[in-house]
Amino acid sequence: MTLSTLGKKLWLTLSSIKTGVVLLIIVVILAAVGTIILQRPVTEPDEMQRAYSAHALRIFDALGLTDVFHAWWFVALLLLVSVSIVAASIERFPNAWRFFSRPYKYPDDSFRRFLPIQKEFSIQDEETGLVAAERAFHLAGYKPERVVHESHFSLFAERNRISEMAVYIVHASLLLIFLGGIMDALWGWRGTLNLTEGEMSNAVEMRDGTKKVLPFAIRCDRAGQENYADGTPKKWWSNLAVVKDGQDVDRKEIVVNDPLVHGGIRFYQSSFGTTGRVEKLVLTATATANASSEKQSLTLSEGKDFAIDADTYVRLAEFIPDHVVRDGEVYTRSSRIENPAAHLVVTSRKTGAQFNYWLPAIEEVAQNAKSPYQFEAQDLKMFHFTGLQVSFEPGQWAVWTGVVLMGIGLAFVFYVAHSRVWAVPVYGVSGELTLWVGGAVNRNRDAFGEKFQDIAENIQAQLKSETDTDRNSHIALISGH
Amino acid sequence: MARERVEQQPAATGSTLIVMVGLGIAFLLFMAFLNVVKSGNLLNESNLLYAALIFYSGAGALYLGFGVTGVESYVKFASFATWAGLIANTGAAAHRWYEAGHPPFASVYEMLLSFVWTLAVLTLVAEKKFGVKVIGTVTMPVAIVGVVLMQLLRSDVRPLVPALQSTWLHVHVTLAMLAYAACALSFALAMMFLIQDKLETEMFLATTSLFTIAIYAGILTRFEKWGGLAVVGWNADEKSEMFLQRGVRLLVVIPDLGWLMLLVALVVAAPFVCYLLARAQKNNALITIGNRAVFVSILVQVLALGVFLLRARNGSYGSLDAEGLFPTSLAASPFILSGLVGGIFVSLLYLLLLWRRADLERLLPSSDDLDRITYKTICVAFPLLTLMIAAGAYWANRTWGSYWSWDPKETWAAITWLVYAGYLHMRVTRGWRGRRAAYFAILGFAVVMFTFFGVTYLLPGLHAYA
Repeated sequence: MTLSTLGKKLWLTLSSIKTGVVLLIIVVILAAVGTIILQRPVTEPDEMQRAYSAHALRIFDALGLTDVFHAWWFVALLLLVSVSIVAASIERFPNAWRFFSRPYKYPDDSFRRFLPIQKEFSIQDEETGLVAAERAFHLAGYKPERVVHESHFSLFAERNRISEMAVYIVHASLLLIFLGGIMDALWGWRGTLNLTEGEMSNAVEMRDGTKKVLPFAIRCDRAGQENYADGTPKKWWSNLAVVKDGQDVDRKEIVVNDPLVHGGIRFYQSSFGTTGRVEKLVLTATATANASSEKQSLTLSEGKDFAIDADTYVRLAEFIPDHVVRDGEVYTRSSRIENPAAHLVVTSRKTGAQFNYWLPAIEEVAQNAKSPYQFEAQDLKMFHFTGLQVSFEPGQWAVWTGVVLMGIGLAFVFYVAHSRVWAVPVYGVSGELTLWVGGAVNRNRDAFGEKFQDIAENIQAQLKSETDTDRNSHIALISGH
Repeated sequence: MARERVEQQPAATGSTLIVMVGLGIAFLLFMAFLNVVKSGNLLNESNLLYAALIFYSGAGALYLGFGVTGVESYVKFASFATWAGLIANTGAAAHRWYEAGHPPFASVYEMLLSFVWTLAVLTLVAEKKFGVKVIGTVTMPVAIVGVVLMQLLRSDVRPLVPALQSTWLHVHVTLAMLAYAACALSFALAMMFLIQDKLETEMFLATTSLFTIAIYAGILTRFEKWGGLAVVGWNADEKSEMFLQRGVRLLVVIPDLGWLMLLVALVVAAPFVCYLLARAQKNNALITIGNRAVFVSILVQVLALGVFLLRARNGSYGSLDAEGLFPTSLAASPFILSGLVGGIFVSLLYLLLLWRRADLERLLPSSDDLDRITYKTICVAFPLLTLMIAAGAYWANRTWGSYWSWDPKETWAAITWLVYAGYLHMRVTRGWRGRRAAYFAILGFAVVMFTFFGVTYLLPGLHAYA
């Protein structure tokens, strides 16, 4: 076997519908497998271990079955499908293109004989027949043209020739979608960015834990949540600013379903919550020595000293949103505000004496009684954080163009039919003149059949009235004599 | 022989059924009216839904009567009842839309409301436009199950979580409903084609049996140690499923029900075994036994349904994952319930075919017509599927920043799309007509059903809303 015949064989195999269908069946089976076996990045590792034995898991991992949709062989398979679609389209395109670019305007004898939709009318002369057909075609929504021959005319008309190309539009759109998907798989990325109010960052945390540094920074000015009356969240929002070289170049309030887009990178609102950090803690202080003295109000924020009087100052050393006490130590249990505790340090400038004041008074560690002031909590405000999803999808335009194109293509494939009609005056063997009218359509033959029936009836009616007037004029001539 | 039976039908029987159904409807409406007068509010959603249920039931009874006896006048009254039910259903949907401020697609309850509505519309369209009169025999019972299921589900207007507040959601779900309804229609038409195409009744016997086996195999995935059946716990106050932790449902085990389901699975498998044996031994007597087995399996299935209704309705059972007893309810197991009802229903349809095949063949359009209408329905379904997937991708992209993440629902939607694409290619380029095309259409709908029910019930996934 020579190289060229091998190449030809390969090409024929690739471009055959059978190959395409077999490939698609394999894709379907593998995709189904991918939905039945738990997939890696989505499922946590410990859950995977719970679901499968270590042995099975090792085999799945080795075969790539735990991440089917990103395995090299799945991507290769999709590429092969693309190649097959391209090959099949190229193989069939020239024929369709010839059909499209050079309309078949004059049906020859054998075509006329075998066309399934056709009708013949006997006519007096060519012109009468052609005019009747012309009128009928017009009435059916066609614009017939006269095809000139050496000694006579024939008629040709067509509609929606583009329909012949529709399948290729659909195939091209599918390839465009694949292209976009491949571009995104190669160059796209996804990550998260958590910002507290007032914070600015340009480092996005990727899935694998690495950081990606953006050429600009994002600052969250304010973030919030609105609730329905029953307490379920209604809306999360964040006021974001894009900062480049120290200047705000863009601003947007984003909500779920409405991202901020800058430089092709999109920022989505994905979650919202309170951080463990205190924005402000409002307290009242009373002197321990003099319980009836006036209450003093003070507002603390993390790491800042607050002077109560000339000598004493207080500082919020630590805030634990959810605390437990075990063996004389205070531990953090979670970051939700469930059982909060504030650790204040009261210092005297003169003596340098420090007292650990705890709210609430935790026996094991608190020195509340010794402190010169007693505190009562009034209000607490935590910093909010907004959870942003960040994604970069350079192939998006191809995907959406492909989707729109596919919509258009499918509309043409299913709902627009290419129909053609011809009318040719023909002389029979014994010299009698007939008008041959034929029609062809590439899909939806029933509807076209009815339409053709209408055209035929219309022609018949015209010809009949023509002969009637003819006969009447003959009669008039005869009676005139 | 079947023809003779029709002629034996005395004409009076025809009007008897109509009068009985009419009286039934009138009686139920009157009773409902008494209740309404007490509560004072005539046109609220639950009343309208109740009226719809009454009318659909009447229509279902008449359609079934038509399917069994072939008396033409039933259809007229049946479609009249369907119209009345549809009007009430439309009222209920409009009321819900107005109350909630968004189209009724957000919860399972609302989706069922829309689904039943679509089903009723399709029934009338198929009947008036395409002359497929028996279709109500299939669709009306489904609609009735839908409305009954709605009574069990949480129906108060719940606010939408942020991710669902998008017009694209409505576009996506509407398209999905339309596409799936069109697929269902193509399936029904393909089945009718096979009947008209003189496919042997044995084949239907085998398929019916396989279908019910699939249902009980699905249910038996919940088989627990010592013959229990695990169902989801139900919080009656919240009217919601119980969760062990975020995304993990709390399963409670109803003792011994698993054994019963296993038994029923064996019985419904019997016709298929008979079919295989008959094929192997070329012995038609076995087919007769298989037909008997279908009859027996219906009785056993009704028993299983009854026991399930009794045990799963408001009982408290232990769980393997947590201490203590937890309540469950029918509403917590909509898939098991629809599976049980669906199995009985399909077996009944088989008996209908077995006994009245000649009448059915007389009533249905010609096989060529059915073949063509099936193809046309898929020509409508396929673009709708495409748009549904595209709208879903666009919505996901706006909400989560990724248009395709290969979650099971997405993947199976893509598989559905590929199967129908395969059908179209085979039909257009290879000229597949008739049986092969009909089998393909049936396969397509099987995949649709798996995408809709199987993925939610059996596979792990993130498509949590539906």
